[in-house]
Amino acid sequence: MKAILLKNNTLLIFLLLFIGSALLSDSFLSGNNLANLLRQTAPIGLISLGMFLVILTGGIDLSVGSIVACIGVTFALLSYELYYSAGLLLSLAIGLGIGAISGYLIAYQRVAPFIATLAMMTIARGAAFLFSKGAPITVGEHSAAILALGSATILGIPVSAIILFVVFALVFILLKYHILGRHIIAIGSNEEAVHLSGISVERTKFMVYAISGFLAALAALLMVGRTGVGTANIGVGLELDAIAAVVIGGASLSGGRGSVFHTLLGVLILGMIGNIMNLLDVTSYLQQLIKGIIIILAVIFQKNQK
Amino acid sequence: MLKLTHITKSFGGVKALKEVSLEVRSGEIHALLGENGAGKSTLMKIISGAYQADSGQVEINGEVLSGNNPHLAKLHGISIIYQEFSLVPSLSVAENIYLGQQQGSWIHWKSMEASAQALIQSIGFELDVRKKVEELTVAQQQVVEIAKALSQDVKLLILDEPSAVLGSQEVKKLFSLLNKLKEKGVSIIYISHHLAELLAITDRITVLKDGRTITTVETREMDKNQLVNYMVGRELSSMYPEKKTKSFDAAKLEANHIESIPGKGAVSFHLHRGEILGIGGLVGSGRTEVLERLFGKGSTRDAQVNLDGKKVSLKSPRSLVKQKWAMLPEDRKKHGGILGRSIKENISLANLAALANAWGFISVSKEKKAVQELIHKLQIKIGDMENPLSSLSGGNQQKVILAKWLHLQPEVLLIDEPTRGVDVGARAEIYQIIQNLADSGLYILMVSSDMDELMGLSDRILVMKNGQIQGELQRADFSEERILRMAIGAN
Repeated sequence: MKAILLKNNTLLIFLLLFIGSALLSDSFLSGNNLANLLRQTAPIGLISLGMFLVILTGGIDLSVGSIVACIGVTFALLSYELYYSAGLLLSLAIGLGIGAISGYLIAYQRVAPFIATLAMMTIARGAAFLFSKGAPITVGEHSAAILALGSATILGIPVSAIILFVVFALVFILLKYHILGRHIIAIGSNEEAVHLSGISVERTKFMVYAISGFLAALAALLMVGRTGVGTANIGVGLELDAIAAVVIGGASLSGGRGSVFHTLLGVLILGMIGNIMNLLDVTSYLQQLIKGIIIILAVIFQKNQK
Repeated sequence: MLKLTHITKSFGGVKALKEVSLEVRSGEIHALLGENGAGKSTLMKIISGAYQADSGQVEINGEVLSGNNPHLAKLHGISIIYQEFSLVPSLSVAENIYLGQQQGSWIHWKSMEASAQALIQSIGFELDVRKKVEELTVAQQQVVEIAKALSQDVKLLILDEPSAVLGSQEVKKLFSLLNKLKEKGVSIIYISHHLAELLAITDRITVLKDGRTITTVETREMDKNQLVNYMVGRELSSMYPEKKTKSFDAAKLEANHIESIPGKGAVSFHLHRGEILGIGGLVGSGRTEVLERLFGKGSTRDAQVNLDGKKVSLKSPRSLVKQKWAMLPEDRKKHGGILGRSIKENISLANLAALANAWGFISVSKEKKAVQELIHKLQIKIGDMENPLSSLSGGNQQKVILAKWLHLQPEVLLIDEPTRGVDVGARAEIYQIIQNLADSGLYILMVSSDMDELMGLSDRILVMKNGQIQGELQRADFSEERILRMAIGAN
């Protein structure tokens, strides 16, 4: 047991925080709060999984927070024009498309990932404000079923959490058993060797950013499901939370190293920090400060144990 | 001046060094010879303070270094130059030489550049010290490394495979530099696989095997065969596989208008099925570039390549791999393998599609089986196929890269320096594998800087100089002198 924990620093941090939270607040362990915690974590979890794939290739995706806003607004607007399912699918497709544009720029035009996704971040945010004219848009009545994504539960587990776990499983399978996953990890480890092995580095990178865009769109739908509103202000700084989660999960920002499971733990760690501080009535400014400090400590802890 | 007594060092359960003793005299060039895994690097790291010995002592000029560390070693004038240089590419020569040595917070450019210039001149070289290191040739970078060591009043200089990156002209320059240092009283430990070099430059040779000192001998009393015997207990002549005299059939690989160095014209040649065509020449003669063009790197606008009458597309490495071409690159770590990933993943990488279903999901059992077969076929010595590639010796790493390509069942194999950084024992095995591949009907094009290897393995040799083919030799006409004359344009 001790060996497992020492090998899995992220798991250790997770357990320490979990136990600490349970001791600090009686309501932390209540079913209601845990369900709420999962519901809040699901969108950032989806984004982090996409970010994890991008980071595995040695890249970065700054556009995800803006995609969340853009897709939220898009879905809300579409809800007045289209059937619920059509709006849903079109929203996901647009997210995928935005990611694909980043992917195209990075893979085929050799724009640095930081720059390409920074540009897409600005563009997507701008589009969100433009389409919504800056005002929150309530989802149309015949698309109100979206609210199920935010509130429904199956066997007491929030639907959004189930979606997160399904995507987690898919990413896990992708990396372990699929050709694309192998290529993703290999590229992050030694891009030139992969290129010289006759593998299309371009296509692999393109796919990764498209997946990240798609997952950001899915996250946007979960968030709209919670509030029933699409707004251009939402999701600011989400990309940084996602990067933090991936790093807390022990992945290397230079690519090639990391685990999906630990990334998920990283997400839950970040979620718990926020959750317990809410339960303890810590003001939101102070929360940010404490969160930053805990991220630093978690990462240092990771490093020293290695 | 340096005396190591009974050094023992273990990693986990593995004893890397067992009671190793070594004595280096002042102003001596002392070779350390041994196969990969013999313990040379570990020993060097103990001298330079990167590792601590479990027992035994390091003594320098009569003073015992207890609790040695890199800083302490440096204070005692020990400097080590690794195969991978530790220079900062974007800084100038002068900045690199004095990196970490500036006094105070301000840089005095003029005095720094002047003393760097003087230092480099004092060892017999001309270099613009304002040039960035990334603009220098590898040989010049090595000069900067040595100058850097000298700037810190070095007494013992350790060179790890210094000639691996150099052409034969540059090796000569390096030797004259080392001799100059020797006259100044600097002791040098020279690590290399190249027996000819050791015989040419060193005073004494210590042979390590399996973490033990086998012997220390005076170089002038040695020849190649004796040294190889010490290393592996094997005669040199048995290194190369037997060549059957064979007549090639009509199937040909024709390569026309391959431009290796831009502006230096193009080369054309052909190669038979089952033939090993060697390309000799100095570093920079365009040899490697010919292979690169043939593997879809760089400009191939006018190039025309036909394999058995069919046109070959040189668009990218990917298109060539699809046409069943394979390339064993010179720089194994950068271009060949993925060191941090498992042996299994490295072997299956280039042909995952063969192991996966229509949806791209890899069959775990198929992959294991295929990898196992290749490991067996090439006799790769591994613990577990899930271990990282970096856990293997150079020779076994090279075999893993070969296995990766064999999994693709290639028709053409391009090889750039087949045994760089590979120990003698594994070399013989790799030569045999290459010969077997040729006998099974592959087209093999091989670049090598090692004359013995080039002549031992090739059926025919092209010698390049300055982007052009300078001459061609049939196997019966091979001689080191002829190749060298062509390579330097004195034929």
